Amino acid sequence: MATEDTAGDQLGRNAALRFEQLKGRLFEAALIAATLVGIVSLLVLFAQISIDAFQPRSASPTWFLVYLGTLVTPTAGFTLYARRRPAVRETNALAFAAVFGGLLLSSVIYVVVESLSPYDVFIYTAFAASPPVLVSVYDRATDERQYTGPAIPASIVAGIAAAALLYDSIKQPIGVAAEWIMYFGLVTVPAALVVAWLTTSRRDSRAGAVAGGAVVAGGLAVAAASIATGANTSLFVVFFSAFVVPTGYVLRRSIRRDPAGRVGVAGPFVLVGGALLGAAVVERFGVQNPETFLTPTLLLQSWDGLRAGNAGVYPQIVGSIVIVGFMAVLAFPVGIGAAVYLEEYAPDTGIRGRLATLLEVNISNLAGVPSVVYGLLGLALFRRTLGLGTGVVVSAAGTLGLLILPIVIVSTQEALRSVPNALRQGSYGMGASRWQTLREVVLPEAIPGTLTGTILALARAIGETAPLVIIAVATTKYSPPSGLFSSATALPLQIFAASANAKPEFRHGVVPAAAVVLLILMLLMNATAIVIRNKYARDN
Amino acid sequence: MANGPDSLSDIVTRRKFLLSSGVAGVTALAGCSSGSGSSGDGGSGGDDGGSDGGDDGGSSGDESMDTETEAPLSGDIRISGSSTVYPVAQEVTRSFAQQNSEVGFNLSRDGSGGGFENVFIPGDSDINNASRPIADEEIQRCRDNGIEPVEFFVARDALTVVVNNDADFIDSISLEDLGEIWSPDTAPEQWSDVNSDWPDEPFDLYGPASTSGTYDYFTETVIGETEADQPIREDFEGTEEDDLIAQGVQGNVAALGYLPFAYYVNNPDSVKALSLSVDGSDPVAPSLEGAASGNYPLARPLFFYGNMDKIQEKNHLQAFLEYYINEADESYIAEDIGYVPSNSDMVDANLANLEAAIAGDYEYEPISTRE
Repeated sequence: MATEDTAGDQLGRNAALRFEQLKGRLFEAALIAATLVGIVSLLVLFAQISIDAFQPRSASPTWFLVYLGTLVTPTAGFTLYARRRPAVRETNALAFAAVFGGLLLSSVIYVVVESLSPYDVFIYTAFAASPPVLVSVYDRATDERQYTGPAIPASIVAGIAAAALLYDSIKQPIGVAAEWIMYFGLVTVPAALVVAWLTTSRRDSRAGAVAGGAVVAGGLAVAAASIATGANTSLFVVFFSAFVVPTGYVLRRSIRRDPAGRVGVAGPFVLVGGALLGAAVVERFGVQNPETFLTPTLLLQSWDGLRAGNAGVYPQIVGSIVIVGFMAVLAFPVGIGAAVYLEEYAPDTGIRGRLATLLEVNISNLAGVPSVVYGLLGLALFRRTLGLGTGVVVSAAGTLGLLILPIVIVSTQEALRSVPNALRQGSYGMGASRWQTLREVVLPEAIPGTLTGTILALARAIGETAPLVIIAVATTKYSPPSGLFSSATALPLQIFAASANAKPEFRHGVVPAAAVVLLILMLLMNATAIVIRNKYARDN
Repeated sequence: MANGPDSLSDIVTRRKFLLSSGVAGVTALAGCSSGSGSSGDGGSGGDDGGSDGGDDGGSSGDESMDTETEAPLSGDIRISGSSTVYPVAQEVTRSFAQQNSEVGFNLSRDGSGGGFENVFIPGDSDINNASRPIADEEIQRCRDNGIEPVEFFVARDALTVVVNNDADFIDSISLEDLGEIWSPDTAPEQWSDVNSDWPDEPFDLYGPASTSGTYDYFTETVIGETEADQPIREDFEGTEEDDLIAQGVQGNVAALGYLPFAYYVNNPDSVKALSLSVDGSDPVAPSLEGAASGNYPLARPLFFYGNMDKIQEKNHLQAFLEYYINEADESYIAEDIGYVPSNSDMVDANLANLEAAIAGDYEYEPISTRE
């Protein structure tokens, strides 16, 4: 009997154990399912949009074969090759960042400056940049450090004010100069200075001067060549200074520093070259392209509401970039400043401490307020109270700025909070003041987290539609915004409007294609955030 | 890596960051001034009496404005309002902007009422599109703000009553039956309740949401006065997207809905359109010809309203309005957009209104007081 009992107990315990295990496994399976629901539905959504945007079924099989041969196979082969060699892989990643970052930088600079007028941008930049440069030169020459720090922001403000006052009398003489000279001053000269500075700091001042001189001479040569051939001089000057120079510099340096990874430089060129070669072959042999609306027309032309093949969103893209760029200028200093105060200065106790706690709670709540409500706030504040026109860049940027302000504050606070307290204490122990500790220890440590959070906030702002509808931002314009008080338009608004178009080729062709453009803009911002975060994380 | 170069590059990158954010700030402020500059240009261009047809004189400065040479039209035109009229405005502005590259357009879709309320009455837009006549209360508020709206009647939009492609039992319907189906007072449950030839299927109704001008027109024309305190029965699917109405009707044999004709003409295979009859007359199939001749009973007028002060002030706006009015009788309005274009009487009346507005003696008369 006794043995039977034990056997029964054993069996019972075994069953209980198995049941426990089964419960655990079921729970795990449920968790996996929950994860998959999100990922799979996201993938299905993206697949749907991409199939509509690229229309792969309308391409001939030859088209796929051509690109498989010229683009996919070489790129995949190169990637496999690079993955096995750490040095090559690192150089390859750097080359990708440099080439595509440079391309992006030069096109954004050209497009934005062109729409705002190169002369005005040049005048204001020159006036704002010269005084701080002079102050820093003075700082270096005399070792006078008492006043130069605060003098730099003050001199920038003074420079901008002077430019605004003198604008009318300067505009006339400067307007005589050719347009490319403005771009030369705006892009080539700073590029040359940065190259000279970096070379000086790594080698000596003579090498620096030579490198800077080479950039200036190269810029002039490019300008001369494009004038001689009748090409767009401004575009080539920008392209040279903001793409060729930084890419060349970074690549050259990485080859010097790490010769083993030299082959990695070829990575981006394999990709771009493959795409170009594929396009050339397709063109030459008349292979059936997919009937996609994601074409240069979409990117470079303005809107056409009747002929889908003719519809473009260039003014909308530039409008979105200008709005979000100015929004960043407005919201980042305010948001970061507020976060630094709340995290580093605000007292924990007393009435002011309670006030700060109240503020923090409210800011967290503000981050969850629906965007339509911010639209109403923007309408009331910028249109009704400040009397700015409806739908101008300033009101759009201000409204979106208010929208992302809580996000910026919260993410900056998180970044500041993650700086170990021991660092602060150590700095105080060395006799540093609070401001010195903040500037030299805390802020540099917090930069990666701050930038990641804020750039993700930008990516959210670029897709916002509802607040822009409320403040009556234009849906369709045929030219990009020409200034901060000119009316703007933004890409999500045009997508929204086109989705109600009576013609099916708009709803199922142009709309997904424009949505892909918007997604790419957003992904580029996220990629920038990741690159910056990795760079600072490595430096620290 | 040694400590030295690391910290050095750190300094460099931080400075670079400062520099670049400084440049960004400057760029922003530069934009500021260029904006005010260009709006000033627009104003002076308007005073100067530049007529259209000038060649591209390039970016002429202020001094060339003083001379009597023909300057190209330049300046901004802001158009707000109805999303129904938007496709017409979009096409006309596009072709005008191609011929006059210095004229900037700015179109938004706010709905007829939203455009009046938020943009036109505060004095921000030059033109407000409307898929219904301006309301008395809106007129009053315009005048309180010193704005005289100038009416231009540009096109008509035919409403199409649609059923499922498989609904074989019905090809035409009378306006009276339609009113009975949609009225909150009768609100029949089944098709057979209205007409015994129709099946015993419950109604599945789709239509535009109550914010739409199409809805206003339909409830007023088809249903009319109701005893209940709402203008239409409540158990229908209302949506802003025509696409969703069509999809709803596609999904049920017993469904019924109404749509703008422009949507139907661009998506003719998705649903079946019904012919309409009034007071026992012969049913008329929805068509632009029928709407233009007045035989088709559901054709609503589309308008745009100009701000008289701005018309007087801005030469480029006068030129654009003249172009718009003359363009509104072109065949592409019918063929590509799906609206009934202006007839020659409408063009003449609109040109007369424009002339009166330029002279400054236009005064809006409510439709009820006109003959």
